[in-house]
Amino acid sequence: MLRYQNVFTQVQLRGPIENGPAIRTGSFVRGRSAHFNYWAGKLGAAQIGPIYLGKLGLASLVCAFLAFEIIGLNMWASVNWDPIQFVRQLPWLALEPPGPEWGFTPFVPLAQGGWWQMAGFFMTAALLLWWLRTFRRARALGLGNHVAWAFGAGIFLILTLGFIRPLLMGSWAEAVPFGIFPHLDWTAAFSIRYGNLFYNPFHCLSIVFLYGSTLLFAMHGATVLATARYGAERELEQITDRGTAFERGMLFWRWTMGFNATAESIHRWAWWFAILCPITGGIGILLTGTVVDNWYLWAVINQFAADYPSTGVLDPAALPGGAL
Amino acid sequence: MRRGARRSGGGVMALLSFERKYRVRGGTLIGGDLFDFWVGPFYVGFFGVTTAIAASLGTALIFYGAAVQGTFNPWLINIAPPDISYGLSLAPLKQGGLWQIITVCAIIAFCSWALRQVEISRKLGMGYHVPFAYSFAIFAYVSLVVIRPWLLGAWGFGFPYGIFSHLDWVSNTGYQYLHFHYNPAHMLAVSFFFVTGGALAFHGALVLSAANPPKGEYVKTPEYEDAFFRDTIGYSIGTLGIHRLGLFLALSAGFWSAICIIISGPFWTRGWPEWWTWWLNLPIWS
Amino acid sequence: MSRLVTLSVGAVAALAIAGCEPGAKVSTQTGFRGAGLNQINDVSNIKAAVAIPAEAYPLPPDGGPTAGQTYQNVQVLRNVSTERFNHLMAQMNLWVVPANAPAEQAGCNYCHNPANMASDEKYTKVVARRMLQMTQNINSRWSSHVKQTGVTCYTCHRGNAVPAAVWARADNTSADPDTIRGNKRGQNTPDPNVGYASLPSDVFGPYFAGQAADEIRVASARALPSPDHAVSIKTAEASYGLMMHLSSALGVNCTYCHNSQSFRAWNLSTAQRATAYYGIRMVRDTNQSYIESLTSVFPAYRKGPHGDPYKVNCTTCHQGVSKPLGGVSMIAQAPALRGPGGAPAPAEAGPNAGAAVPAAFNQPGTLTGRNEPAPIPGRQ
Repeated sequence: MLRYQNVFTQVQLRGPIENGPAIRTGSFVRGRSAHFNYWAGKLGAAQIGPIYLGKLGLASLVCAFLAFEIIGLNMWASVNWDPIQFVRQLPWLALEPPGPEWGFTPFVPLAQGGWWQMAGFFMTAALLLWWLRTFRRARALGLGNHVAWAFGAGIFLILTLGFIRPLLMGSWAEAVPFGIFPHLDWTAAFSIRYGNLFYNPFHCLSIVFLYGSTLLFAMHGATVLATARYGAERELEQITDRGTAFERGMLFWRWTMGFNATAESIHRWAWWFAILCPITGGIGILLTGTVVDNWYLWAVINQFAADYPSTGVLDPAALPGGAL
Repeated sequence: MRRGARRSGGGVMALLSFERKYRVRGGTLIGGDLFDFWVGPFYVGFFGVTTAIAASLGTALIFYGAAVQGTFNPWLINIAPPDISYGLSLAPLKQGGLWQIITVCAIIAFCSWALRQVEISRKLGMGYHVPFAYSFAIFAYVSLVVIRPWLLGAWGFGFPYGIFSHLDWVSNTGYQYLHFHYNPAHMLAVSFFFVTGGALAFHGALVLSAANPPKGEYVKTPEYEDAFFRDTIGYSIGTLGIHRLGLFLALSAGFWSAICIIISGPFWTRGWPEWWTWWLNLPIWS
Repeated sequence: MSRLVTLSVGAVAALAIAGCEPGAKVSTQTGFRGAGLNQINDVSNIKAAVAIPAEAYPLPPDGGPTAGQTYQNVQVLRNVSTERFNHLMAQMNLWVVPANAPAEQAGCNYCHNPANMASDEKYTKVVARRMLQMTQNINSRWSSHVKQTGVTCYTCHRGNAVPAAVWARADNTSADPDTIRGNKRGQNTPDPNVGYASLPSDVFGPYFAGQAADEIRVASARALPSPDHAVSIKTAEASYGLMMHLSSALGVNCTYCHNSQSFRAWNLSTAQRATAYYGIRMVRDTNQSYIESLTSVFPAYRKGPHGDPYKVNCTTCHQGVSKPLGGVSMIAQAPALRGPGGAPAPAEAGPNAGAAVPAAFNQPGTLTGRNEPAPIPGRQ
């Protein structure tokens, strides 16, 4: 028989707009506009807003907008400003980094990669400003800085891909292009160039943490929903004053797999698994091309490459008669 | 209480401080009271028995396969499926039959695990969300080793059981479609994986930041969590909503992964970039 | 509300199914079991076997006066017997001359002035002479690629004056580097030449008419970096684009030749990869040594937008199948095309290349690991 599984809210309450605790620091005032949205309320909280649009936030949005426009307008120019072809070819279009001939020159001519540098600069600025914003907003509310550090792990990966590794390799051409399909081509070409990234142990770790994060969120989300009838979603209260909700949740896992987390520690598991994905991934990217040039051969040397029977085919370039 | 005295089901290992009152009989699907007990912290149940048998047998067979292969190096052990020339029949043990039996053991073990989770949920008065979520993982595994091979007509299409050898299968299967990143279901799955990771990082961080404020501050309440996200991005999904969202994101990642591999081969055989020609050739612009 | 939901779900499903191949599949394993080395083809995509045209008339026996003794201005085929020379002319008519040409170009008149058969006044005769030399070169010097099957005019032309799949220098290679207008830097376009990926799409110029064939290999031969292996990701993308062309030209996927565990390792690759190695260089030789030399001979309407003649790529012969014409040899219909000496040179590429091609493909069990007993006979 069908039962309510607490997936969508059946009865939504409407009360006064929650303005939240007072902000202690900040040059702006919290916005005044907030409203309720019925569809948002079906899944989570119905209240949209108010937002705190501070100096950092505004500056970040301006930089992000500039980056977005530079990328989009470059793409549109590349199809000769044809609006129909722009939409039709959009997934294939790109803003490419400078070619290998430019090395790591700081100011490349615009049409030859300078626009990419500019877009990358503004995107980085937007991300860093937003990162500072998460610090400030937490401090203004007397919260810890965990969100900022989590966000920082993601920024580390983006900067590794677009700036730090190209710097170490001495070539902007190693960086990722802006574009939907083109950045996927970059990913495949990167693995082809460096001898199969599946054999990069940090790539392995990064995937472990990515799948592990997905596993953890499924476990944690499902556990809380399964015990929501006892108030499990009130996690802060369950941390400071454990109730039957998390008692049952903990015992579920203890009886299933022999050990369990607590209301607080599950969030530590979550935080570490999630941030270790971009961190180990970034390390794997940094080691590629700088320390290791062919990951498969590195795996062979370290005796963990899977072994297949030889096909007996010889390299024609190495035969007498040589490369033709 | 007399030393060694036990109430319903308790083992010798120490219980958590609040655990005893929850160790009651009931909630079982099969077997009634027969397997309704704990071994240490582990609940047994009928499905605990079947899990243990299937998992032990499967693991033992993996070790046997490693012995036949000649290595116990965990990175190099490789239990490979049969040649596809065997079709959907049982192959000789050392020619892929071992892989087939281990796969059957695995499926029995995984399904038993899910049903055991149901029994534990019932005993604790919980919803079935955890076994429901876990069944998505089982679906992903079964689609790789049963559904897709069955659709293609040979068990040999399954992936080998080996740490690095299964990655070679992933790589080569991807290159069968020239550029697997262009698979639209794969794009969806990857996007869900990354968003899940991001959402998990922020959820964990948010709760920890409220429970672990800077020195001298009080532990905060959910109003502060909401305020942080409303201040930062204009919306806070709330304490219940984030768990619904997280579960949805995580299950979507697994679901679209299973779909992306089922369609590769049985429903599309050319390169995945070529699939996008339906968009390029839409009548509105061609 | 629920009707709207149903309608939108139905629309999405219909769209998804539209890009779908739900029919029967046929699969081949091309390597060790469980490694994901398979060719999976939808039955409806498998090209029907091309009908091999019958000879104009049976090949006459060899012997008698040579064409050089009988006719004038015979430069390439002077040592071929007159009877077989005439037979070859009839075959070329069948294989190349369009059936519906107007009278002054029909039949022999496509290349010859009927009042003076020896005259070279029609450009087509000059081109045909070069083509004869090109074909003989392919069948002798490049038997490492074409093996004993060999090629004839029909392999490319298939009854057309100009083969269906040819290429010339493309527009995107001459874009002004100082503007972003219309400048995609040679990529990021849904180009069928690279299988509709956004990879660099100028694969033919660099690899089939230039020197870039020497740069196809991008992965290093050593695990650790060294200054003499400075290859950018861009070059890897270009090689990837070339491979996409090979794939669509032959109707195969990457695992036909490679084990992606290591693309560069030859002891993991199939013998077909060695065949392709020679094929790429054969195409380059054909374009550079034979077709480019005809630039001044072809009229403008037979050349590309940049004034270069239409050249050969993999699709020109293969036309979507792994062996042109399904592997059927037509060389017996025109033995003079085998080479200047008549006999083919021995195949190169190591002891395994020639024999291993059918063996590896038909018996994947031969690639089973050393701990395995021999495969069950009859299972291959």
